[in-house]
Amino acid sequence: MSLTHKAPPVVPQDSEPHPPATPPKHKLWFYRFDTKRTPYVFISPFFILFAIFGLFPIVFNGIVALRTWRLDDPDRNGWAGFDNFERLLHDEDFWNALGNTFGIFILSTVPQLLIALMVANLLNRKLRGTTWWRVGVLLPYVTPIAASTLVFAVFFSRDNGMANWLLSLVGFTDLGDPLDWRAYKWSSWIAIATMVNWKWIGYNALLYLSAMQAIPKDVYEAAAVDGAGPWRQLWRITVPMIRPVVIFTVVLSTIGGLQLFNEPMLFEANPAAATGGSNGQWQTIAQLIYKVGWKDLNLGYAAAMSWALFLIILIVAALNAFITNRLGGGRR
Amino acid sequence: MTTVTAPPPGKRRRREIGRAPQDTRGNWSTYLALTAVLALSAFPLYWMFVIATSTDEAVSQTPPSVVPGNQLLTNLREVFTMQDVYFTASLINSFIVASVVTVSTLFFCSLAGFAFAKLRFKGRDPLMFVVILTLTVPNQLGVVALYILMGKLGWNGTLLAVIAPFLVSAFGVFYMRQFILNSVPDELVESARMDGALTLRIYWSIVVPAIRPALAVLGLLTFVATWNEFQWPLITLNGTEFPTSMVALSDLASGNYVIYRRVLAGAFMATIPLLVLLVLGGRQIVRGIMEGAVKS
Amino acid sequence: MSRFGMRGAALIAAGLAGTLAISACSGQSLEGGGDKAADGQVTLKVNFWGDMGLDALKAAYEKEHPNVKIVLNSGEYNAQHEDLQKKLVAGSGAPDISAVDEGFMVQFRGQADKFVNLLDKGAATYESKYLPWKWQQSKSADGKQIGLGTDVGGLAMCYRSDLFKKAGLPTERDAVSKLWPTWDDFINVGKQYVDKTGKKFVDSATNMFNPVLAQQPQGFYNEQDQLQMEAGPKVAFEISMKAVKAGLSANLVSFQPNWDQGFKKDQFAVLACPAWMIGHIQDTAPDQKGKWDIAAIPGGGGNWGGSWWTIPKQGKNQDEAYKFVEWMIQPQQQIEVFKTVGNLPSQPALYKDPAVLDYKKEFMSNAPTGQIFASTAENLKPQYLGKRNGPTRVAVENVITRVQQGSLAPDSAWPEAVKEATKAANS
Repeated sequence: MSLTHKAPPVVPQDSEPHPPATPPKHKLWFYRFDTKRTPYVFISPFFILFAIFGLFPIVFNGIVALRTWRLDDPDRNGWAGFDNFERLLHDEDFWNALGNTFGIFILSTVPQLLIALMVANLLNRKLRGTTWWRVGVLLPYVTPIAASTLVFAVFFSRDNGMANWLLSLVGFTDLGDPLDWRAYKWSSWIAIATMVNWKWIGYNALLYLSAMQAIPKDVYEAAAVDGAGPWRQLWRITVPMIRPVVIFTVVLSTIGGLQLFNEPMLFEANPAAATGGSNGQWQTIAQLIYKVGWKDLNLGYAAAMSWALFLIILIVAALNAFITNRLGGGRR
Repeated sequence: MTTVTAPPPGKRRRREIGRAPQDTRGNWSTYLALTAVLALSAFPLYWMFVIATSTDEAVSQTPPSVVPGNQLLTNLREVFTMQDVYFTASLINSFIVASVVTVSTLFFCSLAGFAFAKLRFKGRDPLMFVVILTLTVPNQLGVVALYILMGKLGWNGTLLAVIAPFLVSAFGVFYMRQFILNSVPDELVESARMDGALTLRIYWSIVVPAIRPALAVLGLLTFVATWNEFQWPLITLNGTEFPTSMVALSDLASGNYVIYRRVLAGAFMATIPLLVLLVLGGRQIVRGIMEGAVKS
Repeated sequence: MSRFGMRGAALIAAGLAGTLAISACSGQSLEGGGDKAADGQVTLKVNFWGDMGLDALKAAYEKEHPNVKIVLNSGEYNAQHEDLQKKLVAGSGAPDISAVDEGFMVQFRGQADKFVNLLDKGAATYESKYLPWKWQQSKSADGKQIGLGTDVGGLAMCYRSDLFKKAGLPTERDAVSKLWPTWDDFINVGKQYVDKTGKKFVDSATNMFNPVLAQQPQGFYNEQDQLQMEAGPKVAFEISMKAVKAGLSANLVSFQPNWDQGFKKDQFAVLACPAWMIGHIQDTAPDQKGKWDIAAIPGGGGNWGGSWWTIPKQGKNQDEAYKFVEWMIQPQQQIEVFKTVGNLPSQPALYKDPAVLDYKKEFMSNAPTGQIFASTAENLKPQYLGKRNGPTRVAVENVITRVQQGSLAPDSAWPEAVKEATKAANS
């Protein structure tokens, strides 16, 4: 499985290293040891560190999820069976957060990838200052999410916010009765989706751009007979040709989007609250996990939620990849 | 007259159509659209700067002010002297964390990448598959258990807690392997071995010089990603005197007196190092991403 | 080729040097480590929230005790308590000294084994100095004393005399107090104000809910730690809903940026004032000196908030920490804090002290804050605040915020408040 179109095949060419020509006898064992064992030494730091800080927590998380594990009341700790999971099914906070996560996810992923396609298409021209434009669209990508989210939090404030002012210019809101962006689901979702879109459009555009540039030129020549304009060229030729990367970005955005944490956290007027609004209007699952684990101090339940989130991500990522694949395939 | 000088419209159109987009010259509308994209990308940063340099009055006026003020130093002084936010320490901490993680990622990932690309050993391909598999595991899954683990190690609230989990990355191994496969000729490795060079020596004197561009790319991406890490540092470092700059920012925004100009002056400070990196190393970062650098 | 690698390294080095230089310019050094250094230097980390008037105390104490360095760590109110809980269970990372508010005291005194029993350090001598209930509230069931009281939150009502004048309302303290013997009167005055000026009267309905709740005989919980929404909370909730319906509230969420801006833009004219609120006003709107004044609160006295200093057991410098705490609760320091930020001491002898009694707060139009708050504090009947009081209060406040945001009708809000409170009680 290769991750991008450019990635060479995973199985490499046979490259058996020859043994050293005529090694002195006393060194022979040493060389044998070197060729046989050194590769393992080289890869072991990765696997050891991954085992401790990557794999173990995941396995252990499963155990924690089956226990009562409280930070405020350690006396209650003990095996809980599937209590945490059962509670999850009836927890309206969880379902609310799930709904929010998906709502924001759709509002951010669909425009994000579509606009990224357009931007990539713009960049996929003969331009003056190619590098300059490409670096420019990466500005949001290198900006710390914490920093940019705080800017947007000010941008979307109820009183004196720039968003309300801009909308009032086109007569959409009245400054005497300003829109409280944090009060409603729809407005808070839009605000957060805006942040996510802003952050990732340039990054995705570059991924698309690199795929677009790998499309053989004769494909366009062959398609010219149909008399396709630039717009149709994009949708009829370019997009189907970069389908693997599109699927890849869809999966990536799914994994990222469903774990959305930073934006909803810092959009809160009081980021320490982690409630995602006065009624959890925009509380995402990742944020809820943080609240349950480190504010309600109920780690067992938080661990169970993490598992639920993981399962959901798996299902949705697979589903998205499947759908995108079918859509792209249907076009041809 | 016109019919003589101008090429027949139909023919011209066809030529344009047959041309691949990357051979088509951008016209004014392309530049206009790109400028708009760039302006939208830069605007939040610019506005952050505006507020960071403004007075309270300028921040709360309607319409909002869009020109920078002259209060940057005043605001920054306030940020740096807020004792409970540890802003100075947080910048230093972020540098320590991001630098250690970057160096370690470069070293361990290039070592493993080299082994996977050029050395033969039992179980190589299955192990590589495991590496790729780990790429798909959402990192949030283990956060609760990681917190408990760090507690047992006594590392919660220390920089170790935010360094250790990021010392290696599956993506780094993958990226290094791909690069080494393509850029280090097998013959070079073999001939060095025939000369009796040990594997470590081959790594150091043949592989490392050959993969410097990839190291730069991976290094920049790792540095940026580590600097911007928020959730895990927030969990383990919040409320200690060793925050990273992202945690300090969230502290700035959640005290009992939240002052926007101060918050955004802090945000601006925490962004500058990365902007400098983008200006100096933008080309490498672009290349890294376009070569399939995928790190979310 | 090697150019790239060199450049990458150079970049990072350059960036590092740059930021180090900037940090150095700010003249603040790296602070940290609560451990005893080789030269007998002791660093004490003190956690609290808001402004407890410690800046001046720190300087004075460090001058008297050159071997002690005090690190002040002020955070957000709820977050500080949650953080302390986390660190207590984790077994490390807690500060040497932590403030605990009455809203969280029951929760922490239930874990008295994680705090230094101050009686072991000789705190018993202070028992007689404190308001009896203040002393009892921080005592565990098995008789351990985990905290020494700092302040109590006797209630009054702060108002903007300049805005009152514009609205044609009386501006004199006593006259203003007479305007609103009850909360209903208060709401009527608010209506007049809103009609006259077109502006809002109170900052937020949550800042009516909290003082009214504080005046009730029972808060969220009874002594058996059972949630009792139908008694006190319902009364307080209904009054706050009445205010929202009458259009009195500027709908600002307290202690958040819009609230701060609300001060500056004259968005409200009154603010329920526990003694400690004066410090907040002063810090948030320093240029409104002389525009604020203090009157009696409708519905009689009450207590909202008030804290203790506690010493978590995991600290390495418990003796030094106790010395500092003991020093902080001495009359001189208590009076100093009272003068700078307004926090009212919890030792009744001080209410008779001329330094308190005759004190006039310049910022608050020279209001005799000592007299005003001391008289409220002596008649206090403290409430029992349950283990889950903190989260419950946040949950109900959020429901009120929803009403103010317009996403919940005032008339259907009560069942929602009960539901959220129950959820918080069981979380």
